[in-house]
Amino acid sequence: MLKIQNLSKTYPNGTQALKNVSFDVKDGEFLVVIGLSGSGKSTLLRCINRLIEPTEGKIFWDDVDITAAPPAELRRIRRKIGMVFQQFNLVKRSSVMTNVLSGRLGYVNPWTSLLGIWAQEDKQRALQALDRVGIADKAYSRADALSGGQQQRVGIARALMQDPKLILADEPVASLDPVLSHSILQYLEGLNKEGITVICSLHFLDLVHRYATRVVALKDGVKVFEGSAKEIDRAKFKEIYGEEAQEVRAASL
Amino acid sequence: MSNETATRRPVVRSGVASFFVPGLGQFLLGERYRGVGILLGFLVILATVIWYGKPLWYASPILIWLWNVWDAISLAGGRARSILLPLFFGLAAAYGIGWQVVEIDFSKANMDRALAILRPMTRPDFIQPRREVNQMWVPVQVPCSSQPPAARREDAGRVATVIPDCGGVGETLIVNVTGMWANAETSIFWQNPIGNPLMLGEGEISMLTLTTDENGSLTTTIRVPSTALVAAPDPTLPQFHRVYFEQYRPAGGYELSFIGGEVLKGALATISMALMATGLAMLFAVPLSFLAARNLMSGNPVTYAVYVIVRTLLNILRSIESLIIAIIFVVIVGLGPFAGMLALALHSVAALGKLYSEVIEGIDPGPIEAIRATGANWLQVVRYAVIPQIIPPFTAFTIYRWDINVRSATVIGLVGGGGIGFLLIELIRVNNMRGVSAVFIAIAVIVIVLDYVSAKLRERLV
Repeated sequence: MLKIQNLSKTYPNGTQALKNVSFDVKDGEFLVVIGLSGSGKSTLLRCINRLIEPTEGKIFWDDVDITAAPPAELRRIRRKIGMVFQQFNLVKRSSVMTNVLSGRLGYVNPWTSLLGIWAQEDKQRALQALDRVGIADKAYSRADALSGGQQQRVGIARALMQDPKLILADEPVASLDPVLSHSILQYLEGLNKEGITVICSLHFLDLVHRYATRVVALKDGVKVFEGSAKEIDRAKFKEIYGEEAQEVRAASL
Repeated sequence: MSNETATRRPVVRSGVASFFVPGLGQFLLGERYRGVGILLGFLVILATVIWYGKPLWYASPILIWLWNVWDAISLAGGRARSILLPLFFGLAAAYGIGWQVVEIDFSKANMDRALAILRPMTRPDFIQPRREVNQMWVPVQVPCSSQPPAARREDAGRVATVIPDCGGVGETLIVNVTGMWANAETSIFWQNPIGNPLMLGEGEISMLTLTTDENGSLTTTIRVPSTALVAAPDPTLPQFHRVYFEQYRPAGGYELSFIGGEVLKGALATISMALMATGLAMLFAVPLSFLAARNLMSGNPVTYAVYVIVRTLLNILRSIESLIIAIIFVVIVGLGPFAGMLALALHSVAALGKLYSEVIEGIDPGPIEAIRATGANWLQVVRYAVIPQIIPPFTAFTIYRWDINVRSATVIGLVGGGGIGFLLIELIRVNNMRGVSAVFIAIAVIVIVLDYVSAKLRERLV
């Protein structure tokens, strides 16, 4: 159970990205966060694992206050939270294998990891993770030699290495074409079915309808909606995205 | 009548105004930029001509001034004159004076002298036919002591004698050698006790060369050279000098000439100098580059101040040519490759520091947040997200710098920084153009090969 209470974030330049946002995420949910670009979705996700320090508010995960965790404990919390990014955020010049193994950094001995030495067990686990996302044959390619869809699968494999209880996915399919979008989201859905909680930000309404068990909508940093995906009809959509918005259907592209 | 005065008055007024102050007439007619432009142009040309002081060039400002009056009058009549004419007068003066200041004089081109230098350059002194030497010497006492030992020496079947056994400066001696190669050209020269050769030919400025007979013998007379005792601490003290006989014959094949060997040594010194300088510079540039990276240092005012200071220092250092730094280091540590290396290193610290810091500024923050999100600590983030991004471009820039340093090192040698450049300036001083040519070729080969190698290496890294 993840409880987000009165979360606010003001950036040093004065931008208020989040304003007093509160909601709960139950274990095993596939929670989708929607909202325009700049509505605070990315900030919200990054506050959960404190890649961005929230200005105010608290986040409890199984009654542990993430926002108050000292550095060492924060790292222990982070290693249980996998993260998938819009731009994949792979180290492009490193091999796929190294990228996937780096998901294990929170668990291994820091000193041997600095030398680039990995236990056989971790390598085995990395190959299994790659096999699971269907690109085991690319293990020793350079990450930037892969296509966008393949790179995102490496990103998922890296998150899998963390043995996560929660996955944060920040617009995981925004850089991919619609067909690939479904394939990536299906991997996340599969993980969700195994009991991993997923918090995912998305843009396309039909993807939201297809995958979300619950939806939170942000507008200018304020939570404007919380409920099931079915409740988001055209009118609600316009309310969240503004009058100008035209719904784009991923499947029709 | 009134109509006529209405048109004439501005004509006269602007003509007179521009006569006294160029551009004033135009200015008063409302053409302000034109007026100011004419005045400034006129003053600049006038000042230049006055500074140069040759009366001929006064024509230019005078013509511009005349044009200006004409233009002012025409302008009053509603028609501007083309600006091309005064522009031409001004440029003519500028180029004319420029020509004279640069002292362009094609009659100075001396083709005979040019050919005297270029002709030997077509035969670079790098390799020479291998040859065997047959050398023999005999000691002679100069000046005579009361009991001079016999001036006779035997060695490997060859016998050399001098009669009499000793002599004073300018005295005639009969020298004889037997057992040398038959019918072979033989050089005969004097060597003083400290090992300096002295020539025995006409006027003591040419080599005495004779040919042995069919038995390998020759006999001739020589004079004890006038400079034989110049280096002696006490000219009255008898000392042993030597008379040398030298024969050469081809031994087949080629060998590296003496200059060729020096060229190779110089090339090696230059490349090593650049390598050491680049390595040393890298050691300092890597930590400095982190301090000079805006994205890392703009967090708080203290680090930002450090950033500004480091950046400024690097920029100042980079703007000083390594040639000038080399001159200073030659004074501090003396002539030689060490001074050149230090100069190159100092300049490279600044250059590499800037290049590295730009790499750091340009790294993708995405992988950093991804690795942080896995629960990695700070060192692990650096190792897995930062280093993989910066190592290849750092290496590429370092190789590139090495390449540049090799070129600079050749030039730095000219001011005493050692290496092949130093050899070059020495050879130019003694007018050894065949050696100079060998050095040129060596430099070209080094630069071309290194350019190619470094480009290929960088291609793989980036």
